[in-house]
Amino acid sequence: MSETFDVTQELDVRGLNCPMPLVKSRKAVNALPVGGVLKVVATDRGSVKDFQAWAKTAKNIELVAQEETEQDGQTLYIHYLKRTS
Amino acid sequence: MSVQQPATVVARPVEEVYADLLANKVPVILDVRNADDFARWHIEGRQGTRVINIPYFEFIEDEEGSLAKVPTDAPVLVVCAKEGSSQFVAELLAERGIQASYLAGGINAWGNFYDVRPVLDAAYGRILQISRPARGDLAWLVVSDGEAAVIDPLRHIEHVNAVLEEENATLVHIFDTHVHADHISGGPALAREHRAPYYIHPYDAIHPLDMLPAKYEYVPLADNDTFTVGRFTVRVIWYPGHTLGQVNYLFTAPTGETFLFTGDGIFLQSFGRPDLGGRGEEWAPILYESMFEKLPRYITDETWILPAHFASLDEDDGQGRFYAPYGKVYETNTTLKEASQMSRDEFVAWILDNLPVFPEQYIEIKRVNIGISTPDEETASELELGKNICALADAYDE
Repeated sequence: MSETFDVTQELDVRGLNCPMPLVKSRKAVNALPVGGVLKVVATDRGSVKDFQAWAKTAKNIELVAQEETEQDGQTLYIHYLKRTS
Repeated sequence: MSVQQPATVVARPVEEVYADLLANKVPVILDVRNADDFARWHIEGRQGTRVINIPYFEFIEDEEGSLAKVPTDAPVLVVCAKEGSSQFVAELLAERGIQASYLAGGINAWGNFYDVRPVLDAAYGRILQISRPARGDLAWLVVSDGEAAVIDPLRHIEHVNAVLEEENATLVHIFDTHVHADHISGGPALAREHRAPYYIHPYDAIHPLDMLPAKYEYVPLADNDTFTVGRFTVRVIWYPGHTLGQVNYLFTAPTGETFLFTGDGIFLQSFGRPDLGGRGEEWAPILYESMFEKLPRYITDETWILPAHFASLDEDDGQGRFYAPYGKVYETNTTLKEASQMSRDEFVAWILDNLPVFPEQYIEIKRVNIGISTPDEETASELELGKNICALADAYDE
């Protein structure tokens, strides 16, 4: 899925629990140019539903994709957030 | 309870929060999980507790707007999945002068919290209630002369073991009123650990939808079987309707006092629904006969009703104990009273018009409870998420 858009910046929030993945993502999106895409790499399973719900209500964020991958025996939850305005 | 310093937020242990819920001292719960998780299940207090849902990310997105939705006239208990987000929001509230605390361990701690308290303390024996308030599940332990029987034990058997140790009693009977569909029974595990017999009625040892037999050892019950537990005598009353093999256990003390463990028969409010086996139409008339024709022959207005579930904390006696004499249950249980005044045909029609949603996971839980499926801890926990919907009254809550 990540082929269809370019990632502007990557944010590593592995090991961080709620609410930090979202707090840091909000700050990072604010620093993006409009149209830019932030890739967030998280280990907190709760972030999947929270990012979906957050993107629905947030002012200038579109959740363009979510992925789940295994790495070193750990599940990674990857979110792609686009700054829309 | 806890020593509060100004502008700091306190993490409150779940035991303390439960005591405050019972004492009606939690005016506001602010649940900051996402709306879907909140809708699936959340902490419910007494009627006096206001529960509101504002996801934590809304505080991040629009701090002022979200804060404006929080009541400022009462202390607020903030709850999230684990703990982090509730602490985060509680601190925001405290900065604005709102008295805020958060639940230590989050909703997970609440889901796994068990409460144990005695309901009877007599010369001839004791009855203890083991409840899991998040689910509204109740198990009971009867102790007399060093012997104990457990009725409808829940999945986390360490709580039964702790009471047995404290009471210095040997577990002699493990009674399930029926094969449960809403939670995983601790019966087979207790039977293995204590080498005590595990009893169910054989009609419940067949999965009603799969039509497959149970794969563990159990002792089959028959109507009118009798047992003893110390100085109590126990009579099995076959009570089909919620399941085909449901029984009630009638305990009689040497004084003649009687205690009826009803399982998912009569609850303090409402009664067990007849449709969970997929045969509502056929089982509703049987339930009517069990509840209104058979059972009255065995009990009096003084007989204690001790059920396997409650739907609301307000069903208690004011002190977290979920039992009442039948005479009082009949007067306060409006669903039961209304039903008792119907003919059998009216009852069946009314039941079929009022069936609550059928929870899909109940099919799998029943498989687990007859030993034909064995979940790991995560799956077991997932299956048991949320509150039971065994009672007919839930139809009106949907």
